[in-house]
Amino acid sequence: MMWRIWTGAPSLQRRLSLGLAVGVTAMWLAAAIAAGLVIREELDEAYDSALQETAQRLLPLAVLDIVERSAGAGGRRVTPIGEHKEFLTYLVRDSKGRILMQSHDAVPADFPDTPAHGFRTTKTHRIYGEKAVSGTIIMEVAETLAHRREAAIEAAGTLFLPLLGLVPASLFGVWWFVRVSIRPIRSFRGAIEARGEGDLSPIADGGLPAEIEPIADAVNRLMERLRRALEAERSFTANSAHELRTPIAAALAHTQRLIAVSKDEAVRERGRHIEAGLTRLSSLSEKLMQLARAEGAGLIAEAEQDLTTVLEHLVEEFRRAEPENARLRLVTNGRLVSHMDADAFAILLRNLIENALKHGEPKGMIEIEVPSDNVVRVVNGGVVVGPDELKRLRGRFERGATRAKGAGLGLAIAQAIAAGSGAELTLSSPAAGREDGFEAVLWLPE
Amino acid sequence: MRVLLVEDDRLLGDAVHEHIADEGHAIDWVETIADAEAAIHSTPYDLLLLDLMLPDGPGLGLLRRLRSGGDVTPVIILTARDQISDRIAGLNSGADDYLVKPFNLSELSARLAAVSRRYAGNPNPLVTLGDIEFDLAGRSVYRRGRPVEVTAREWALLEGLLQHPGTLLSKTQLEERLYPFGAEVESNTIEVHISRLRKKLGHEAIETVRGMGYRLKR
Repeated sequence: MMWRIWTGAPSLQRRLSLGLAVGVTAMWLAAAIAAGLVIREELDEAYDSALQETAQRLLPLAVLDIVERSAGAGGRRVTPIGEHKEFLTYLVRDSKGRILMQSHDAVPADFPDTPAHGFRTTKTHRIYGEKAVSGTIIMEVAETLAHRREAAIEAAGTLFLPLLGLVPASLFGVWWFVRVSIRPIRSFRGAIEARGEGDLSPIADGGLPAEIEPIADAVNRLMERLRRALEAERSFTANSAHELRTPIAAALAHTQRLIAVSKDEAVRERGRHIEAGLTRLSSLSEKLMQLARAEGAGLIAEAEQDLTTVLEHLVEEFRRAEPENARLRLVTNGRLVSHMDADAFAILLRNLIENALKHGEPKGMIEIEVPSDNVVRVVNGGVVVGPDELKRLRGRFERGATRAKGAGLGLAIAQAIAAGSGAELTLSSPAAGREDGFEAVLWLPE
Repeated sequence: MRVLLVEDDRLLGDAVHEHIADEGHAIDWVETIADAEAAIHSTPYDLLLLDLMLPDGPGLGLLRRLRSGGDVTPVIILTARDQISDRIAGLNSGADDYLVKPFNLSELSARLAAVSRRYAGNPNPLVTLGDIEFDLAGRSVYRRGRPVEVTAREWALLEGLLQHPGTLLSKTQLEERLYPFGAEVESNTIEVHISRLRKKLGHEAIETVRGMGYRLKR
């Protein structure tokens, strides 16, 4: 398609603007040309009629004049009454072609050698001949074709000249009108484009043209179906988490009972190995579940919510879980009101905080700060992480040059959730405002 | 204390039941909401351990019914749902704490003790009465700075008395805290435990109000 060659994808606006403008201009030109042809035809008729009329009126006078002079030898040139340019010239000849009389501007060479009755056209002139006295005297009146052409061109000019202004005006008018008409479509497109991957809430389709509205409805229905499917997947994940956690919990509890009741040190030692294995299994399964969640849907909530409560709750949970987690310090100077899903936010922050606890300098404080609205900073002290390693840290199963235990999934999960929810996560080392340490900053989507 | 465990997973329930009983508490174990409601209506419990996904409905429903009925028994939720929104919903429904599965049994004990201390109005785990010092978190007793060995049963009994120092607890109340349903209780068990504790802590530590019950001397 021609449009595709021009633009890659056909733009409705370009297509309509060009199509309408070219169409209107072409019609206009065609109408002007037709009008020009008709005018020329009519002008010819009028001029021919004037030529004929002139000949028929002049002939009797010429005959009278010739007869009165008793046909003297040689032609006679009519004395002009005041100098003027003649549009019509005439020649009066006898049947043999001898000139009896001529108008003052007449050039005999312009006339055919033998006079004839009726209309004739030479290369340069239109001629009408009229006979009198039984055909012995013939008067021919000639008019230059150039004169006629000039008249036709002038008439055509008055038809075409306004087009020079009107065509660009109509081009602009069409372009403007099309642009205004498809504005709702553009804003609908903008609304779709502006969404994060995880946002599946219906799009408002205010003011869409009737032709597009069904498409918008279909898009919204599709999103709704997708949302439900992903919701089902999410609840499946949650359920499998439940299914997996309970048996692990049971195995862990029984192992701990075994350690508690056994009198045999070797058995207790074995028990502690199993306990450690189960703990690792449980944290790995938790991370895998989080990763599945992060790459699924449901990262965006339909309604805005205050995530400050979630953050406070999370920090409280960390502090309670282990006494050493008293290293966490939470400072909030801004609000966290976002469309990001509370659970996704909690998983993301949990991973950032776990990361800081695990890899930060031992016993150093971990600052969790909300410096301004919708920004969360997690900062810990410790050795500087190089730029190459920073890049690698975002990858899955990557670990820094640390011996701390962990599946190495934390930052990958945080990254996936940030990307899927339209949030932005930056990692930097050293932390801003200090010479060492590691900093993760999260910008929440509105 | 007397604890009701509502957990439908047999293996996990078994281990938790054994662990809590081993610490000297009386623990009843039910697997459904219906059985839990029946137990709560017939016995006063000091604490509820509540699983959220039960065969006959969500545990939160039971919790909400209890709270709207004015029941203030401390509740710790045991949940496999790791989403923070589930946990916040649990707390907002009236739970005092929650533990995400899998959990350490020692952490369970710590949470149990912390919640019952808060409930008794004294979150400080160290209680001093006269020359006796109780460490509720460490489950240990000191008399004049020296550690005193007490058995799990004796500790459970002390804990009950410590929760309401100065308040009388009847023999039946103490038995209820120590022995679950169906346990064989000898008629003089409480008296035996009390007399052993007096030997260890000094005769005047526990006061007997004849025909009414026992209380810790302030």
